[in-house]
Amino acid sequence: MRQLLSRYKGGGQTQTSLPFWLILPTIIVLLAIQVYPALYTAWLSLQEREPTGWTFVGVENYKRLFGTSLFSESIGHTIVFLVGYTSVTLALGFIIALLLNGNVRLSGFYITLLFIPWIIADILVGLIFRLMVVPDYGLLSGILQNPKIIPPNGLSVLTAVRPTPWFGNFAFPPAPAMDFLILASAWRALPFVTLLLLAAMQTVPSEIIESSRIDGANGRQVIRHIMIPLMLPTMVVALFSLTLSGMNGVGMIFSLTGGGPGTSTEVLSYMLYSIGWDRLQFGRAAALALMIAVVNWLLISGTLRVTRLEDRNP
Amino acid sequence: MNMKNSLLITRRQRTNLLINLGLILVTLFAMLPIATTVLVSFKKEQDVTRKPPVIFPCDTPTQAFDWSACRWSVEGYDRVLAPEPASNWLGFELTGNMIRTYIPNTLLYATTTSFLVVILAGLSGYAFSRYRFRGHRFLMISILAITGVPLLTNLLALYQMGVRLRKANIPLYDDRFFIIIVYMGFFLPLSVWIAKGFFDAIPRELEEAALIDGCSPLGALWRVTMPLAAPGLMAVFLLTFVGVWNEFIAGYLLISRNDHKNVMFGLYDFLGQNIVNLQVLAAACILIALPMVILFLFTRRTFFKAMVEGAIKG
Amino acid sequence: MKRKWSLIIFIALLALVLVACGGAAEEPDFVTWYQYDQDNEDPASDERVGNEYLRNTIPQFNEAFAGKWTWVNQPKAFDRMTTELVAAVQAGGEVPDLFELSNTQDVIDFYRNGTAQDLMEWAQAQSWFSDLDPNGIEACKGPDGKLYCIPISQRPQLVYVWKDRYPDGYPSTPEEFLARAAELKAEGLYAITFFGSTDKGGEGLTRAIWTTISSFGGSLDDGQGNMLLNTPENTAAIEFLREIVANEYAPEIAFAGGFQEEEAFKDASAGSFPTGLFGYRYVNPLTAPDGTAYDKGSAEDMLDAIAAGDVYLTSFLSVEGQKPGCGIDVAGFVIPVGAKNVEAAHDYINWIMSPEQNATWVQGPGGGFPVLKTTQTDETFQTPFYKEAAEAVGSSACRPWYGSLQRPNEAQEVVMNAIYKLIKEDPTADIAEVLTQTQEEYNAGN
Repeated sequence: MRQLLSRYKGGGQTQTSLPFWLILPTIIVLLAIQVYPALYTAWLSLQEREPTGWTFVGVENYKRLFGTSLFSESIGHTIVFLVGYTSVTLALGFIIALLLNGNVRLSGFYITLLFIPWIIADILVGLIFRLMVVPDYGLLSGILQNPKIIPPNGLSVLTAVRPTPWFGNFAFPPAPAMDFLILASAWRALPFVTLLLLAAMQTVPSEIIESSRIDGANGRQVIRHIMIPLMLPTMVVALFSLTLSGMNGVGMIFSLTGGGPGTSTEVLSYMLYSIGWDRLQFGRAAALALMIAVVNWLLISGTLRVTRLEDRNP
Repeated sequence: MNMKNSLLITRRQRTNLLINLGLILVTLFAMLPIATTVLVSFKKEQDVTRKPPVIFPCDTPTQAFDWSACRWSVEGYDRVLAPEPASNWLGFELTGNMIRTYIPNTLLYATTTSFLVVILAGLSGYAFSRYRFRGHRFLMISILAITGVPLLTNLLALYQMGVRLRKANIPLYDDRFFIIIVYMGFFLPLSVWIAKGFFDAIPRELEEAALIDGCSPLGALWRVTMPLAAPGLMAVFLLTFVGVWNEFIAGYLLISRNDHKNVMFGLYDFLGQNIVNLQVLAAACILIALPMVILFLFTRRTFFKAMVEGAIKG
Repeated sequence: MKRKWSLIIFIALLALVLVACGGAAEEPDFVTWYQYDQDNEDPASDERVGNEYLRNTIPQFNEAFAGKWTWVNQPKAFDRMTTELVAAVQAGGEVPDLFELSNTQDVIDFYRNGTAQDLMEWAQAQSWFSDLDPNGIEACKGPDGKLYCIPISQRPQLVYVWKDRYPDGYPSTPEEFLARAAELKAEGLYAITFFGSTDKGGEGLTRAIWTTISSFGGSLDDGQGNMLLNTPENTAAIEFLREIVANEYAPEIAFAGGFQEEEAFKDASAGSFPTGLFGYRYVNPLTAPDGTAYDKGSAEDMLDAIAAGDVYLTSFLSVEGQKPGCGIDVAGFVIPVGAKNVEAAHDYINWIMSPEQNATWVQGPGGGFPVLKTTQTDETFQTPFYKEAAEAVGSSACRPWYGSLQRPNEAQEVVMNAIYKLIKEDPTADIAEVLTQTQEEYNAGN
């Protein structure tokens, strides 16, 4: 790989303008559909709509955003959601990958079934999970709402209030609806993470495992001291990628909880949706969008750094 | 691999059993939400709105479960598909908007978008893989950074762009072109990265041989590299296809005519101001998700490859 | 030779296209945006009433204005058409000549975004203007006093009641209500169901919550455009709601969102349901307490139940010295800024104001009472349903919930969040503190 690339560097510069023409169509589409709207958003974030037209208001939109309690609350929800979502998905994904790595018969069959959730649209996943816990009528509600199973009154996932927070106003422990949202999101993301981890697991050289076994390491030690360190870059990539999708996804919240009950599943991306498209406060929505974009860029640059690290390692 | 197996052979049976058990549990977890939805979709309204809910609509006044008393029904599917007697070879036709309008539209959007994305991503992926030029790294990183812009506010600018294009009276212009271009813009960045990854894996020597044999660079690309890259490009095609099929929010906010609606927006017909026909909603979910699940079952290997490639590189 | 022929064919085709286009240009299109779809013939559709209305009246209009206008309706998603219109006007894009307004608070959005035309001058010159109910005109006015819509139908809030659950009439005071609620609870029933979730951008506020607040004499603003929540009346109303929730006089599904609170009324497990007059269309099929089923699965069900005396309509309870409160909403028409064919829109509105069309519209898309006083006496509105509704509304004092607030969408969301928090999530929280914080946050944006 490296050799190839270095060979290129020599010859590449003298090449024709061909690469330019090859890339041009892509660049044009991206400029129109992604770059221009992003710049427009930046401009919009400094404007406010008045009956007469757009008026420049400077950083007023940002100030108002910071001034509402819903904003800080949403940050709390977003953190809880992301931590829950990524940790549940990574942990379960790792376990499933381990199981699949055991080379059982029928593993192809399992993989196929396990991967179906990934192909289902997030808005459908939200609906499917909602159907299960619709108060009084959902099949799961029949079990959860039974006082004998969950005393004292049973649990209605979509309407149960959040427990009293442990630390000031920070939304922890989360409301049952948030736990359920995390579960639904993890359900959909698990195949992706499992596959990624499985692929990484299969690149762990069996000689290393074997020799450590001979040295007397047990299964847990092999996982802890050999597999996890070797798979760490992949795990970090998975972590970033999950965070990125969790940070921006809105379809599942849209169809599962609608931000409720109360505000307990209102995360930043959903807040962005409701400010922009429910309240029609486009300027303020744009300001929020830019803040989310900054977080996204940090995550992306983190991923880049890790993947380059990985390129160098082997 | 053999060595590893022989090491484990003493405990093999026990481990195998445990692994299988674990996998069955995990598969059940993955299948449960889908199974409940299928169950709900085949119930009658009076069984869906029962308190407390029954899992199987098979109870009689005297018995909790009786196979012969099961009240399965296709009420939900009937609403979505709306079959009417007709004089064609089937004897009926499906008059539901889902079949008549939304699915054909979505097929059009998804196929066209994926096809164009494959071409553009293929060309620029090739250029990025084979040539080193000024701005190479900058462009690659910028393309990735673009994915960090939150989609929700971009849609405002895109909406306005769509309105202007419609007003410009371009001959033959149709709103659907715009939707397709927007989707291209959404799915291009990652596709370029994936395509580059696949091209990187094709040895350059083959092309050089073709060049020596008198092919032009484009001829070499077309005759030698493209066939080799076909599986990779197929992966890009499928990922984009599923992505467009599953996309909700952009379609929801940008499509302004009923006869241009895609399936996810079409689902909204059953989610109106009176969403309680859970069996209809479940049937619609199943019908919308089914094509993608079938597609996935036939092409899963390509998907797996693309997912890993996309995650590591992007 | 070949070339010549293809040229001839091309020219012929071009001529054909030009003739075709020329033909269409004779009758200019009159474009409307309705939330209903004339092409949706699904008999089980939620919006079959409106869909059918359009299917029937589009040909009528085109006949009445043959050679002048062709009515072309573009159906829009009910929860998105306002946004789309605002964005379309902002972008200077294609807008309809007429917009079906189904939610009066949109008028404020249209005012802020410069979306709607001022119709005052034109409307005042029309013969029907003096016949309009003044409340309807008031609801269509923006904060600047301009007339941004033409009101056709008024949709007040009232209470749907199962007779067997309240055989001695609906309670008229909070105390009576709570007493009856306790009795119903002992039978395993709920006294009330209502839109209690924060779903749909806090829409629940505009329904039962506002009915309760206004019945306690409360309001949400100070009359000057500032939010004022922390008042003794509002506090009393919230305490009353707290009592209902804490004692489980309302079912859990009331807080599930997605309009699922209706379920509890459909099977009569909840005895009463404060909601919009319009609600009869969506709350079906019904099962009466005695097991009678009204299961046509259409708006007929509720009308049948009312005619049979199983369900009755009434005003909400109220505290001493107050009339029962209720929210009011107006449905009507908006002519957007940039409309190409204002003349057609004017013709259309005049046509809808004609006696033969007015009642049909009010009954169809309008789903309420006529704003036109002469239509109120039309025989269409003498059915048991409309008579009971008129009586219920007549004994209440109805006013729009947003009063002088200028950002109703934002207000709706934050106030509903606050009230939900107080009644459901944290029933021990200090009411004054939460209300004060909410109003201050909102007013900071004034």
